Amino acid sequence: MNRLKRILIGAAMLIIVHTVASADDQCYTCHSGLGDLPSEKFAKDIHFKKGISCAACHGGDAKSDDMDIAMSKKSGYAGVPKGNAISAACAACHGSEEKMKKYGSTLPTDQWKELQTSVHARTSFTGKENIAQCTTCHGSHGIVSVKNPASPVYPANVTKLCSECHSSATFMRAYNPSLPVDQMEKYKTSVHGMKHGKGDVKVAECASCHGSHGIRSVSDTRSTIYPANLPMTCAKCHSNKEYMKEYKIPVDQFEKYSKSVHGNALMVKKDLSAPACNDCHGNHGAVPPGVQSISKVCGTCHALNAELFSASPHKKAFDEKNLPECETCHSNHEILHATDDLVGTSGRAVCIRCHSETNNVKGFAVAKTMRSMIDSLHYHQQVAETLLTAAEQKGMEVAEAKFKLRDAHQADLQSKTLVHSFNEEKFREVVSKGISVAELVQGEAQQSIDEYYFRRKGLGVSTLIITVLAVSLFFYIRRIESKGK
Amino acid sequence: MSMISEKMFQWLDERFHLAKAVEFMNKKYVPVHRHSVWYYFGGVSLFLFIVQVVTGILLLMYYKSGEDQAFESIQFIMSKVQFGWLIRSVHSWAANLFILAVMIHMFSVYFERAYRKPRELTWFTGMLMLFIALTFGFSGYLLPWNEVSYFATKVGTDIAGVIPVIGEPMLEFLRGGEEVTGATLSRFFGLHVAILPVVFSLMLGLHLLFVQVQGMSTPIHMQHLKEEEIKKMPFFPNFVLRDLLLWLIVLNVLAVLAVYFPWELGNKADPFLPAPEGIKPEWYFLFMFQTLKYIPGHVLFIDGELFGILMFGAGGLLWMTVPLWDRESSEGKISRKVTYYGLFVVMFVITLTIVGWLA
Repeated sequence: MNRLKRILIGAAMLIIVHTVASADDQCYTCHSGLGDLPSEKFAKDIHFKKGISCAACHGGDAKSDDMDIAMSKKSGYAGVPKGNAISAACAACHGSEEKMKKYGSTLPTDQWKELQTSVHARTSFTGKENIAQCTTCHGSHGIVSVKNPASPVYPANVTKLCSECHSSATFMRAYNPSLPVDQMEKYKTSVHGMKHGKGDVKVAECASCHGSHGIRSVSDTRSTIYPANLPMTCAKCHSNKEYMKEYKIPVDQFEKYSKSVHGNALMVKKDLSAPACNDCHGNHGAVPPGVQSISKVCGTCHALNAELFSASPHKKAFDEKNLPECETCHSNHEILHATDDLVGTSGRAVCIRCHSETNNVKGFAVAKTMRSMIDSLHYHQQVAETLLTAAEQKGMEVAEAKFKLRDAHQADLQSKTLVHSFNEEKFREVVSKGISVAELVQGEAQQSIDEYYFRRKGLGVSTLIITVLAVSLFFYIRRIESKGK
Repeated sequence: MSMISEKMFQWLDERFHLAKAVEFMNKKYVPVHRHSVWYYFGGVSLFLFIVQVVTGILLLMYYKSGEDQAFESIQFIMSKVQFGWLIRSVHSWAANLFILAVMIHMFSVYFERAYRKPRELTWFTGMLMLFIALTFGFSGYLLPWNEVSYFATKVGTDIAGVIPVIGEPMLEFLRGGEEVTGATLSRFFGLHVAILPVVFSLMLGLHLLFVQVQGMSTPIHMQHLKEEEIKKMPFFPNFVLRDLLLWLIVLNVLAVLAVYFPWELGNKADPFLPAPEGIKPEWYFLFMFQTLKYIPGHVLFIDGELFGILMFGAGGLLWMTVPLWDRESSEGKISRKVTYYGLFVVMFVITLTIVGWLA
């Protein structure tokens, strides 16, 4: 009964609005009488409901029932707007705060301005207009609110709308041939896409990440998907506790990522080679990497480490225990700078999580040896550097020795990679090479310091000889001069 | 022993008539007065030049010219060659002390009016040697091909390029192209080790010949005294031994400087890097460099830098030709304008050098 009452009231309201709206709009009166499609669609249009006449876009005199007067040039009739004139017609109201307020709208008034800065504002292949106009996405005579499920820009419909162009290889070839056209396909395989397919309108769709009117290229620093901005874009939803409540997943990823070596490199140092969220999770096909594929994901950048790990005895052990590979030792979002403390059998060492003197003994012994070798290499490097600095401060030329010490640093770096093989023999080979170089440099630096003291002593002796000679000469001159007198 | 040396002298005398030279030396005297100390700076300059020649020849055994090898070869000399560090440091320090000694010598000659008739040519050859010494310094500075020397040469040659008419061709000639490159280094090397030593040695030969033939100049205030009233000392052995004593002291100073303040090599020149901040030329060019900084962009429709160079040119010419326009000194009078001009130049050079150093 209640439902019937609501339908009747709704119908009555529609008739009243329709009658009121169309009473002064002679365009609609005539065209609806003709039964044409635009007027049929316009009846449902939000603009029609707000009392806006056809003349607002097409020009002419909406009050005149004489077609010759209403659609005369004198009355300002412009016909069907074409090209950029379409968006300009929309912007005439949507770009004016005053007009929008008049119709009781709280919509932002910068859409046209934003659209003009977007990739869609590039000139189309006809060379006469921009690629997209307002009507390309919002439609023309049947425009409804974005909150209305019938709107093509309603969240549930956005992916379909965008893919009409972006999934068409033929269309995209004309504008950006290198841009993939499989985003929609990938999206369907993503967590976002799967939930979206089930009718969840809260999950991310195209506009959630790319924006709507001001869509910019990924290489544009103002773009929401520019690598350095991307973590913030993802965090808009993923760090919102309230918004993410129903999905029951952590919301601290961004906070952790910000502290990580990757986050610091990307967002603070603006190093675009550092990974953003999408580099590990994917972008259109975003999913958390599977446990067994983590090393492959990390390995896209850390190739050597991943390769060594895959060939190491740890690979099998981790797989058997279903442990995420790199993540087990390095964490995931909060990956800190890998220090030597991670290796070993005490303190912050991660090895002791699985290895102890009684459990997994062999690994414990290898970890202990590796750590002691690392410490030894560092000690030798430090001694060499101290001696070189001392020699340099004494004004000795040690550029060549300094250059040689690079090999020890290189060995140190190599050992940091080789640790992922967990192969003591290979590790020893590299570290020993580094220690030998450091010892050689120590010797050369010490030699320079000894040379410095030798120079001092040599100077003392030669100064003394010269002084004795000078003094003797002085007395000799005095003697011959006194004889002369 | 004395028998052997006597026989040797006789053997040489028969062939080269050395007795005449010895007789000449025995009759040679040096006036003794309160300004006699300035006489020794000529000898100090000569000693430092000899040090330069000896250390330069030793460096030449290992130095390799060329932008890929110059810096590395100096590095090799300083770290691998036995006493290479000492030779290089002594060469660099002696170069600076040499110019200082030559400048002191020149100013003492100027204020003593020792350039007056009949020693005009001695003054001219001396002035030419000063210019050659400065060119020695400028060309030698680039040879290590380090950052500072590279940019100092760039700035120095740029200034030369401002001179009207001959500036541009001279700039290209000096650089061996439009920029300071390996070609410039080769040219400067050739100039430093072949052309300049030959010209300098010729000038030095003439200069010493004039000094020996004409003897040391007597100050104007002693000119009216009779020959027997002038206090003198024999040139040989007294003056020569005193010279030798000073040379030993200078050698000691040089050794201390070379060991305690070894000449730094710095970083290798990289033409693609921007010039390091506060780039300055060697101290003996600093007063000119600093003056050019103070001259406005345009002076009387003339480019400021060009105006500065013309002023220095005119000033230098006036200085060099002093024996020609200072007639009073030839008549035994001390000209005040010459003294004031000399004092102005000394004050100007010292002040601007200090300001440039501190800037």
